[in-house]
Amino acid sequence: MSGLLRDLFKDYRFIIAFGVVLALLSLSLLSIFSPFDPQRALQVPRAQPPSWQYLLGTTWLGQDVFWQLTHAIRNTLAIALIASLTSRVIALLIGLVAGYRGGLVDRILMSAGDTTLVLPSLVILILASIFLREWLRDLVNLGLLLAFFAWAWDARVIRSQVLSLREREFTRVSILSGMGTFRLVVKQYLPFILPIAFTTLINNMSWAIGMEVTLAYLGLGIDPSVPTIGNMLQVAIFRQALFMGLWWWLLAPVGTALLLFVSLYLLSVSLSEYLDPKARVQRIGLR
Amino acid sequence: MRKLLMALSVLFVIGSLGLGQVLPPGVPRAETLIVHSLFAPAPMPGNWNLWAGWRQNNNGLHQFATEALWTLNPNVVEGGIINALAAEPPSYNEDFTQLTIKLREGVYWSDGVPFTAHDVVFTVLATRETPALSFHAQMLEVKEAYAADDHTVVITLTRPNTRFHTAFLERWGTLRPMPKHIFSQVEDIMAFDFHPPLSLGPYVYVNHDPAGNWALWRKRDDWQRTVTGMLFGEPAPQYVLFMNYGPPESHIMAMLGHELDVFQGPTEAMLVLLEQGDTTRSFREAWPFIDPRDLSTRGPGFNHLREPFNNRDVRWALALAIDAVEVAIMAYDGMVALTPGLPLMVLPEFKEWYFERLEPWLEEFTLDLGDGRVFHPWDGEAPWRLLEWAQQHHQVDLDPTDTDAVRLTLGYGWWRHAPDVAEELLTRHGFSRGADGRWRLPNGELWRIQYLSGTDPTDMAYIVALAVMEQWRAFGITVDHVPSAAAGHLTWHGEFEVSAASHGGWVGEVWGVHPDLHIGFLSLRSDLVRPIGEPTLGWAQRWSDPRMDELVRELELTPWDDLERIIELGLEGMKLQIEEMIAIPIINCPIVIVFDESYWTNFPSPANDYARSDNFTTWPQLKYILHHLEPTGR
Amino acid sequence: MTFLKRYLIPRLIQYLLVTFLGLTAVFILPRLLPIDPIQQRIAQYQTFGMIIPPDQLEYMISTLRSLFGLEGTLWQQYVMFWQRLLTWDFGPSLARFPTPVSTLIAWHLPWTLALLISSLVIGWVVGTLVGGVAGYYHRSKATRLLDGAAMVVRPIPYYILALLLLILFTHVLPLLPRGGGIGIGVTPEFNLAAIWSILLHATLPALTLIIGGITEHFQAMKLIVQTSRSEDHVWYARSAGVKDSTIVFHYVIRNAMLPRITHLGLSLGFVFSGALITEIVFRYPGVGLLLFNAIMHGDYNLIMGISAISIMVITTSILLLDLLLPLVDPRVRHQ
Repeated sequence: MSGLLRDLFKDYRFIIAFGVVLALLSLSLLSIFSPFDPQRALQVPRAQPPSWQYLLGTTWLGQDVFWQLTHAIRNTLAIALIASLTSRVIALLIGLVAGYRGGLVDRILMSAGDTTLVLPSLVILILASIFLREWLRDLVNLGLLLAFFAWAWDARVIRSQVLSLREREFTRVSILSGMGTFRLVVKQYLPFILPIAFTTLINNMSWAIGMEVTLAYLGLGIDPSVPTIGNMLQVAIFRQALFMGLWWWLLAPVGTALLLFVSLYLLSVSLSEYLDPKARVQRIGLR
Repeated sequence: MRKLLMALSVLFVIGSLGLGQVLPPGVPRAETLIVHSLFAPAPMPGNWNLWAGWRQNNNGLHQFATEALWTLNPNVVEGGIINALAAEPPSYNEDFTQLTIKLREGVYWSDGVPFTAHDVVFTVLATRETPALSFHAQMLEVKEAYAADDHTVVITLTRPNTRFHTAFLERWGTLRPMPKHIFSQVEDIMAFDFHPPLSLGPYVYVNHDPAGNWALWRKRDDWQRTVTGMLFGEPAPQYVLFMNYGPPESHIMAMLGHELDVFQGPTEAMLVLLEQGDTTRSFREAWPFIDPRDLSTRGPGFNHLREPFNNRDVRWALALAIDAVEVAIMAYDGMVALTPGLPLMVLPEFKEWYFERLEPWLEEFTLDLGDGRVFHPWDGEAPWRLLEWAQQHHQVDLDPTDTDAVRLTLGYGWWRHAPDVAEELLTRHGFSRGADGRWRLPNGELWRIQYLSGTDPTDMAYIVALAVMEQWRAFGITVDHVPSAAAGHLTWHGEFEVSAASHGGWVGEVWGVHPDLHIGFLSLRSDLVRPIGEPTLGWAQRWSDPRMDELVRELELTPWDDLERIIELGLEGMKLQIEEMIAIPIINCPIVIVFDESYWTNFPSPANDYARSDNFTTWPQLKYILHHLEPTGR
Repeated sequence: MTFLKRYLIPRLIQYLLVTFLGLTAVFILPRLLPIDPIQQRIAQYQTFGMIIPPDQLEYMISTLRSLFGLEGTLWQQYVMFWQRLLTWDFGPSLARFPTPVSTLIAWHLPWTLALLISSLVIGWVVGTLVGGVAGYYHRSKATRLLDGAAMVVRPIPYYILALLLLILFTHVLPLLPRGGGIGIGVTPEFNLAAIWSILLHATLPALTLIIGGITEHFQAMKLIVQTSRSEDHVWYARSAGVKDSTIVFHYVIRNAMLPRITHLGLSLGFVFSGALITEIVFRYPGVGLLLFNAIMHGDYNLIMGISAISIMVITTSILLLDLLLPLVDPRVRHQ
């Protein structure tokens, strides 16, 4: 483990990305100390440019952009993590079972997965956000809904990995030596599969953040008075922050989103190059 | 650097070729009025049959193609009702079972066929015979309809009705005559697309966008043979283009590029346009810029079948927890008129008919706090508090000593911001504050209000909802904002607690230039209320009261021209609504409008007040005011 | 024969199963919407000026229900849905009754197809080529510059990118139209004026899509090539004195193309759900916006029509890719 970290820290991209993510995480932790209720308005003078008192300025509705941003980062990261962790767990389970058991089980699971892949996901998300309105207002549930669309492709990748592992010598040796299925999977397969799951986790987080922003723009995400990157962006856009000259209000969420996306991308590139340069090839760009 | 400059100048040369120009060749910009098309894209582009359902009528269809028998006067200073296709006001027989309509002579359809009583009779009978047509239900009252001569229509009714003619009175939607010579040839009126539409108004259809974003109209060569031509003379623009440029920021850029003459939208867009445009102006020269005189109100509405909103004290507490001045500032930078009564419009007539008679009662009105203590909630000073705030933040052109001007601009007043009284009213019914300062329901659970709205953040109801939620949160109530694309449906089915939808079901809307409130009170009838889960037939907020039923019955017996009695009954109803706080109207829906005067001038202003400004965007009376416009000759 | 039995038939069964499940989903999901097209229509009447007496309302609902073909149990409607699908008739649009769904799709789809396919292909070709070369020379300065640019541009929230371009090309430099698919008064026919107008209107939306596409394909391709250039055959070629450019285009990029072709095939399949945000920002009259409005109006038939076509195109194109790729590239075998 320490070897891994030492190697990773030789990569400047990893250092930068890690630093940025760490900084954003600590910003989101700062939200605990926020002097303002994130859902309230008229807390500070309206439309103030950045200053020592208001680090990132204030909004047209009288909110402090900096403190709002700390909440937004926290909530957006939470949605992204819930979506990607949940979908990883589903992908792992289904990929392992389908690959190991094969046959009918495999076909059923893969068909179910393929069905979620061929559904137009944005359309279904819009539909779901309408009929699940109250349920979806909670950010945990938005994460879960996003997870539903994010597991299938990776389950397929994991399944094919398991398929090839199953043909290998050590599987037969383990079975012959009386190792149980569960132990076999955990001891012998997981070490091969976890790196895949881990790098896709990061890619998936980017996708989930993108979806959150899109849904918020359409007015269909979580409660719009709960700050997220998407909600902040939506309010700033519709209150004409750009034309009103309140550039700080728009720049804060856009800049944060960019930092987040770029550092997630760098993390995933350097991690996957380190872990398995070939596996990376098959996954890039599909989410 | 030189290369860059070269490249830039090449770009400007290309730009000057007009590749991005919006109008087609042959339609000169200087002769065209480009108007913001609201509610776009049109749901059924290319279908103009507005008798068969909603057709995006405000894309020129109800402004130019159709004409009503009677129409509200867009000029609110004059007020009253214009006899349009009808030559004179409706005339009923003794017991209100027969209506005689005299029609104007010399009016022609745009294909040269004269408009006659037969068109009206055909429309009434076809509407009665064809289920699912608009106004079918109202026409079921018709026993008989015939043309006494080419310009006299006689309609007999199955029951006495003092207001039958209001089905033909244009406010924003009415039963307008169909061209008989076209519609009588049609097998299925419901399925007919009426394309291209025939005009009875002063403009004819030229072209439309199959995607529903624009419609282009040209002045009729024989505009003299229309009601508009006869009453007002020639409309100025040769062409009128109704145009939707997309999101507000696109409209901002279009108007700054002089490709849009009239824009109605959110406050922020207006402020940007006023600041950045050289030729832009709003209704007023300085703050509060807007025209406050729309004919509807905005504010939260309750579901009266849901606990605890069925409790009058809770509703009053929620009202007193609101600082209306702060709501006005947060929602519209203060540029709105405050109004406390559901259909109490901020208009000169309404002030005279209703507010002035209501004011003494409002001063006296009290809430019972128990132990013999009472509270006077009325705050006639609220508009002045708003004005005071504005004077610190804006350049203001209102004289605080001119009471009438202040009231007709910033509203009549509102309820005191009295969180302490709200607290008393709530604790009296077992509500309590937790240690965290948040309100608990009588059963000890956290009070969590679900506030339903649509999803469009530029919609007025949405913007006001945000400001109201802020007030309630400040008071310690937990409020969840529930924007839903299905908001209209959910409200209609009673599946909400508090709704941001405009007061809906006509309760908050009025004729505006006529004091009759029957149109609004009607949907409050108790027999129209349906339980939660069923679509309601009346007001979505599901309030009812036998006293209101009685008022509706009384109004129905009162002839439409007995103004004194109508106002008396209207006042009774308003008092009842206020006492019960059946919903919390806060503002008169503001008309946030911007005119670009680079091609056309003489748009309305307080000094030149010939029309409510929103007649320039969505209202059907646009045809009656276009003769006021003057080309700049650019 | 074993190919048929072991691969083709199971693959076809799976194709049919996935298509069936997907189509069933698009039948059920819209019906979960709390937006009832009939009540939507009646609400419009009420919003815009009419109070319908109680006894009339009941009658009106049933009239509209039979008019819209929404009578019967859910099961009967489901059977009807399949009957219609097999005859390629999706019934009338409910929000734009009585216009047939197929007419609406036929009008809107060409716009989306033309815009999306051309910008997808342009983005793919440019991104893949540049990415391939950059991947080969992955240590050069230019590559790093491009890499950095792609990394920053790709994640810009789509709406912001579109808005910036809109401000730049219609406001600061008033060069291009503000939106729409074609100029006012120009009929979309096959003549010079119409084509010119369509091209002008498509420029900005295409540009935003192409920028997104280029950065995406650039990143993907660069990574693939970077990895495969270290493979043995490249090393041999280089030591045998083959020219660098020959190696790049003939060995490395060519071999790396396969996964990219698969990807292009898949993304073309998603054309049907359109580029919703593009169409909103630029008022582009495509099928994405049509679908979004259909959802907002509870127009089941239209939602089902568009989604069903989309699903069938996607499943079929995946099937074809699976079957055809082995013919193109002998390294892939049916397994």
